[in-house]
Amino acid sequence: MLDCKLYFQPESLTVALDLLAKAEKRLLPLAGGTDIVPAMSKNKLNVAGLVDLSKIQELHQIKIEGNEISLGSLCTFQEIETSHLIRTKVPLLADAAGLVGSPQIRNAGTVGGNIANASPAADTVTALIALDADVRLRSTAYARTMSLKELLCGAGKTRILPQEIITEITFKILQPGSKGGFIKLGRRKALAIARMNMALIFSVTEGRINFARVGLGAVGPNPCRSNALENTLIGQEPSDSLVEDFVMEAEREVARMLGSRPSAAYKCEAVKGIARDILSSLFSSSEMVVE
Amino acid sequence: MPDYSTIGKSIQRIDGIDKVLGKSQYIADIDLPGTLCLKVLRSDVAHALVKKIDVSEVERIPGVVRIFTHVDIPGINGYGIIVKDQPALTDKVRFKGDAIALVAAENEEIAKRALKLIKVDFEKLPPIYDVWTALKEDAPAIHSRGNILTVSKIKKGDAEAVLNQAEVVVSRSYTTQRVEHCYIETEGGVAYIENGILVIKVSTQNPHYDRRDVARVLGLPMNKVRVIQATTGGGFGGKLDISVQCFLGLAAIKLGRPVRMVYDRQESFVATGKRHPFFIDYTTAANKEGKLLAVKVKIVGDTGAYASYGPATLVRAAVHATGPYEVLNVDIDALCVYTNNPISGAMRGFGTPQMAFACESQMDLLAEALGISPVEMRRRNILQQGSITATGQKMNKSVGIGKTLEAAWEKALQVMPGLGDERR
Amino acid sequence: MAEFHLEMKVNGKPIVLDVDPGLRLLDVLRDILHLTGTKEGCGEGECGACSVILNGKLVDSCLVLAPQANGQEVITIEGIAQNGELDSLQKAFLEAGAVQCGYCTPGMILAAKVLLDHNSTPSRLEISKSISGNICRCTGYTKIIQAVEIAASRIATKEGADHA
Repeated sequence: MLDCKLYFQPESLTVALDLLAKAEKRLLPLAGGTDIVPAMSKNKLNVAGLVDLSKIQELHQIKIEGNEISLGSLCTFQEIETSHLIRTKVPLLADAAGLVGSPQIRNAGTVGGNIANASPAADTVTALIALDADVRLRSTAYARTMSLKELLCGAGKTRILPQEIITEITFKILQPGSKGGFIKLGRRKALAIARMNMALIFSVTEGRINFARVGLGAVGPNPCRSNALENTLIGQEPSDSLVEDFVMEAEREVARMLGSRPSAAYKCEAVKGIARDILSSLFSSSEMVVE
Repeated sequence: MPDYSTIGKSIQRIDGIDKVLGKSQYIADIDLPGTLCLKVLRSDVAHALVKKIDVSEVERIPGVVRIFTHVDIPGINGYGIIVKDQPALTDKVRFKGDAIALVAAENEEIAKRALKLIKVDFEKLPPIYDVWTALKEDAPAIHSRGNILTVSKIKKGDAEAVLNQAEVVVSRSYTTQRVEHCYIETEGGVAYIENGILVIKVSTQNPHYDRRDVARVLGLPMNKVRVIQATTGGGFGGKLDISVQCFLGLAAIKLGRPVRMVYDRQESFVATGKRHPFFIDYTTAANKEGKLLAVKVKIVGDTGAYASYGPATLVRAAVHATGPYEVLNVDIDALCVYTNNPISGAMRGFGTPQMAFACESQMDLLAEALGISPVEMRRRNILQQGSITATGQKMNKSVGIGKTLEAAWEKALQVMPGLGDERR
Repeated sequence: MAEFHLEMKVNGKPIVLDVDPGLRLLDVLRDILHLTGTKEGCGEGECGACSVILNGKLVDSCLVLAPQANGQEVITIEGIAQNGELDSLQKAFLEAGAVQCGYCTPGMILAAKVLLDHNSTPSRLEISKSISGNICRCTGYTKIIQAVEIAASRIATKEGADHA
């Protein structure tokens, strides 16, 4: 049996926030549980109890508001993967969600949980970083918005305060016609934690790339944007030689990010493969186009 | 072919229906009222003498029934399928995970809590994590007989002389990794006394051997021990060894109550046998026509802290070192070496897969050096009727490997586009 | 320790229990309800042996705390044979030789069931994806995939007959 002395299952956000605000000892919000439950099994979770958010309906929505898409923090990977809105407007995020863990993990795990867990290799986080996503946080007293980039502050670490809950993740919709993709390198095809992952978005005007964003995961404490890789693409014409320039820069970028870490030798080589695969397939394919 | 009732037909497994219904009882599914839970305290150091085990704090915990250590073993404290070198509860630690103390408690939570309160004083010894250190003359001896457990040799003809004169010689070193079997059901068992007989129901591949070792360790005559194989969720060689059997037997006979022990995944990884890592130096000589003339192979297998099936694995490795090919001059040495690593034992193929990796890599390199296709290189050397193997066996009757090679090649041509472009 | 008042449906039957919230759904199913067809293989969501269907979706019951199943419907391997007759997947697993040690079988069958409940004409790739969270160490998967194909074709044939 796992050690869980307090367990609350509020049906509204107000009650949930109230529980967190009034807790004498630290309570942890529980989303899908796919990271929290194994951590409890290993006695790695040092909290007094859990506030189960799963019954709070307002946290489960995926919607478009003006030029923004909003994901409720309790949306599961499976809901994101199969959402028509996400598939058509942000196909790279649908792909990233579809590559998390296994069908079982995708049915339970949530995007809010993926962010709060702050794994260096979180698949949807790399995609959301490339989308320049913001995270909306609520407490009883206030609401605030923080960029995802700023919220993540190390492996397993975030700037979320104990009394706060992630309610939404928002990002601007992409220009129709832009392309985006996500690629994951795992030790096996399913149930793999990413050894590396990459999310890529770009658009082309008058034959040249005028906009590019690249997210890289599992090459540092948290997934992050790579300006160097973005600059390699911006202003250039899509071509085979651009793919090779991108590949070379990816190797240099990973070398800079990993320094003398033991994984550097492997990842500097391996990133060339994923960089080549993702960019050449986006250049040649008519899929992964934003509607 | 005549129409037999069974031969040539698919028959349904007799245990199939219960398995698809979820009704089969594996160890963890058996509900025995009044069962005590057993847990083992495992060493977190790799090589040490156990100087003192302090259980005073533990015995005060309500629900802890008994703690056993090496002094409580009633019989001979050593088991093993080939060499009886593994203590059930040890006073000398030989790997991280060696069993030091056994707790019997009313439930799992109490047993786990108890493990944390047992205090062990170690006199640490230098750990040996690789075979090369273990083989040094001044290396500390992991077992009293030394670190070389067995040496298996196969010698035929004069390999050295042929190697010195051959037209093509390829020489490489190969290493293979440790592999966990990872059967989905971990090890587990229950034990109880029935009509004065110790009954152990266990997830095992080897009930008859288990019985012999349990009787030995517990100092019981064989007819007082009954081992029943429960429905077993995979073994692949890994459940040929003793895992929970001696612990269950010890607690059941000493306490007279039914006991249960099920490893979690981590304990299954830590405590049980693996595929042997091999270190192989392989030299092959051939003539210009691609006919193998000689091989010289040195194999060192890391059997870890205890022998398990190590000696047999290394014999098998030596026997299969030449692969399915005929070679007249052979010089093979296979060493089974103790280290302070996890135990290596039997796993699907017994050392043969490791050797196939080395031997087949050599064939590819020779083919490349000779400018002939890899499949042709194999055709020219494959064992056939009348061939003599490395161990001197004449293949008098049917030898199927040639046909297998051709069938595999045909299939490869079908499923691997572009393969047929190579020279055949 | 405050117990949690848990109400759920298991294999169609309403269940009401007060449980320690530290119990996983797997523990409640196995230890309290004695539905031991659901197996524990790894305890951390890697192997899929503990898979059950929770509100129509496949989950690892070792990663779900029992209170999370509150108000939901759980289907285990014990709940898919109807009136003593094996489910078409159970039959097909037997016929195809897809059962060896049997430890992954309950989870594997439930994973395939979720697939076939939504898609009775799956491609081989869709079948592989549907069982990609379930590890089998015996079979190499070929016969498991064949079994799902057999079951799917029977369901499709039956549906065709029903519509005729």
